[in-house]
Amino acid sequence: MFTKSIRGRLLAWLAFLLVCILTGFGVTAYQLHSTNRFGQIDDDLAVRVAALRDDLRTRPLGGPGPKHFPFEPGGGPGPGQGPLPGFAPGPGPGFGAGLSAGNRPGPKPGPGPDGPFLRGFLDGRAEQREVRLSGRTLVAFDESDTNGFYFVIWSRNGTALKRSTNAPSHLPRPERLGADVGFNTRTLGTFREAYQFTGIGDCVLVGQSLAADLAALRRYAWWLAGAGAGVLGLGLWGAWLLASRAIRPVDDISAAATRISAGNLSERINVADTDSELGRLATILNSTFARLEAAFAQQKQFTADASHELRTPLSVIITEAQTTLARDRSAPEYRETVQACLDAAQQMRRLTQSMLELARFDAGQEAIERQPFDLGEQARTCIELVRPLAQQKGIQIHTDLQPVKLTGDADRLSQVLVNLLTNAIHYNRDQGEISLSTRSQPGAALLNVSDTGPGIPAEDLPRVFERFYRGDKARAHRDGHSGLGLAICKAIVDAHGGSIAVQSSTAEGCSGTTFTVRLPA
Amino acid sequence: MRILIVEDEPRLLHNLAKALREESYAVDTAADGDDGIVKALDCDYDAIVLDVMLPGLDGWQILERLRRKKKTPVLMLTARDATRDRVRGLDAGADDYLIKPFDLAELLARLRALIRRAAGQAESTLTVRDLVIDTRSRTVSRNGEAIAFTAREYAILEYLVLHRGEVVTRTAIYEHLFDESDDTLSNLVDVHVFSIRKKVGPELIATRRGQGYCIET
Repeated sequence: MFTKSIRGRLLAWLAFLLVCILTGFGVTAYQLHSTNRFGQIDDDLAVRVAALRDDLRTRPLGGPGPKHFPFEPGGGPGPGQGPLPGFAPGPGPGFGAGLSAGNRPGPKPGPGPDGPFLRGFLDGRAEQREVRLSGRTLVAFDESDTNGFYFVIWSRNGTALKRSTNAPSHLPRPERLGADVGFNTRTLGTFREAYQFTGIGDCVLVGQSLAADLAALRRYAWWLAGAGAGVLGLGLWGAWLLASRAIRPVDDISAAATRISAGNLSERINVADTDSELGRLATILNSTFARLEAAFAQQKQFTADASHELRTPLSVIITEAQTTLARDRSAPEYRETVQACLDAAQQMRRLTQSMLELARFDAGQEAIERQPFDLGEQARTCIELVRPLAQQKGIQIHTDLQPVKLTGDADRLSQVLVNLLTNAIHYNRDQGEISLSTRSQPGAALLNVSDTGPGIPAEDLPRVFERFYRGDKARAHRDGHSGLGLAICKAIVDAHGGSIAVQSSTAEGCSGTTFTVRLPA
Repeated sequence: MRILIVEDEPRLLHNLAKALREESYAVDTAADGDDGIVKALDCDYDAIVLDVMLPGLDGWQILERLRRKKKTPVLMLTARDATRDRVRGLDAGADDYLIKPFDLAELLARLRALIRRAAGQAESTLTVRDLVIDTRSRTVSRNGEAIAFTAREYAILEYLVLHRGEVVTRTAIYEHLFDESDDTLSNLVDVHVFSIRKKVGPELIATRRGQGYCIET
């Protein structure tokens, strides 16, 4: 469910991206930090290795005895200092040079040209020599701190010449590769060690327990993870808020659509921001809903009107029959009742036929035949059909019928003509006039039907083509008119791709109504 | 009982008038709103059957104008069955509402109920002393025995019983029991009252000299 919602998926993707970014960032930060830390440790170790190696080089290698040099605490020779004077039992220039060179990692000087004898002698002495540490070096190795730096100095034969008390026991002497005098590091368990060989093969090793640093790194890692989780949470919370904000119009739309589908067609989506994508969507949906509502209202009105129109003749039939059946009647009374019922039934038949016809036009099922015919000729035939009706009211019909070649459904257009003519007679005054004309225009055929009736009030004029619309509601009703005639005319003309229009004047003396039908030629 | 029917469909108007006359109502008719309001204001009808859709004044307008002056019971007759229309009709002061097409029997029953309620009677059977008048079957009985009445006699008795305790003038009786198509003389009322007294006894209907008749409660 959650993964199916847009908001859920948005959040899932954001969470995934955030986790990737935060992980990358965290890992990099951790790496940098640990590299930095180990670099610093190695630097610390290097300084101490150098100091020890300096001590190893500058202190007399002889047996125990008083210091040959005045002790200078804190002011010992730096690594960059040259060989000090009074370096008596040095191993010769080669040795000195070797040590001197070993001071800095660099090209390896060759071993001094020691003869076998000298070597034996030196070995003997070398194993017994005492390494004195300068004050500065001693400060660097605080042996009371077990986590502090420790050191071991091996002679070239592997004898530990000196070791700090906090150095782990059984510390293996590093293997010397060739005549390596460079600065090396190694990690043994939780110990980080740096060592360097002197030119003659003595080894100085400085180490430090990494336990505290590893613990600090772990803490750092946890801190990173915690901060990452915090940022992730904050990001997701913000994203949830943002997504909710962005999705709210969608919720509004769906809520409105739900209410509409529940039957409340007058509902609309509340569009606050018409420029956003969702705002535009909502506007489009609103106009769709409006059209839908209008169509529904029209349909509802039509149904209500139709039922209204059918109810009156039905009432007549029912009350006639019930009244007549209430007691015995004479034959003329029965005849009268049956006649009344028949009239009502005929009225209903006309009405249902008209409605059916309109419904077919609405559904696009009414077939329009397209055959060439002469509209003027057709009009002449129609006039003959309505002439008896006109004569009853003493109405004169004037014609101006030009031949108009047209392609269309002659029967249907005759229906329009008869309908318009019947209306013109029906709504005319007695002894009135009707004029009918057909004309040909470029690309169009024109048909005009005018009467001299009282005219249609301006407020009714736009609605005369509406179904069941009648200006004088009850009068036409009594004459058996359904109120669908003009609607059917319009449907037929529309189906031909034409248009029908009405003009009317209610002015005293020159009142009258003109219907104009324009058909594409 | 005198009833006005305002209806624009001529067949329906004709038929309703016929049916109501056969039920011994005095019936006036109006085919449009203008005629309808004139008649409704002019005469004290016992009930008016009023179509909503009319030429001239429509049913709503007639009702509105009528209610400013009179409390005549009005039964609205319409082809519109939307609840909105019914509510509007009843709120506008109609006493009842009937939708076309309707059953004649229902229309007659509703009219009887309207007339009864307007006279302050809730039941269809009226009892006065030992007389029982059934307005549904239009029969009168005493101690379970039916008394035969002509339609006019019954109508006068029913009218007097519905207005018992009041003095009913001859003119009122005449107006309520004879419609515009009747041109009988007003002393016909006295003739009918005389024959009613012969059937139910002389003491039921008292004559108030110079005023009219009265059934004491």
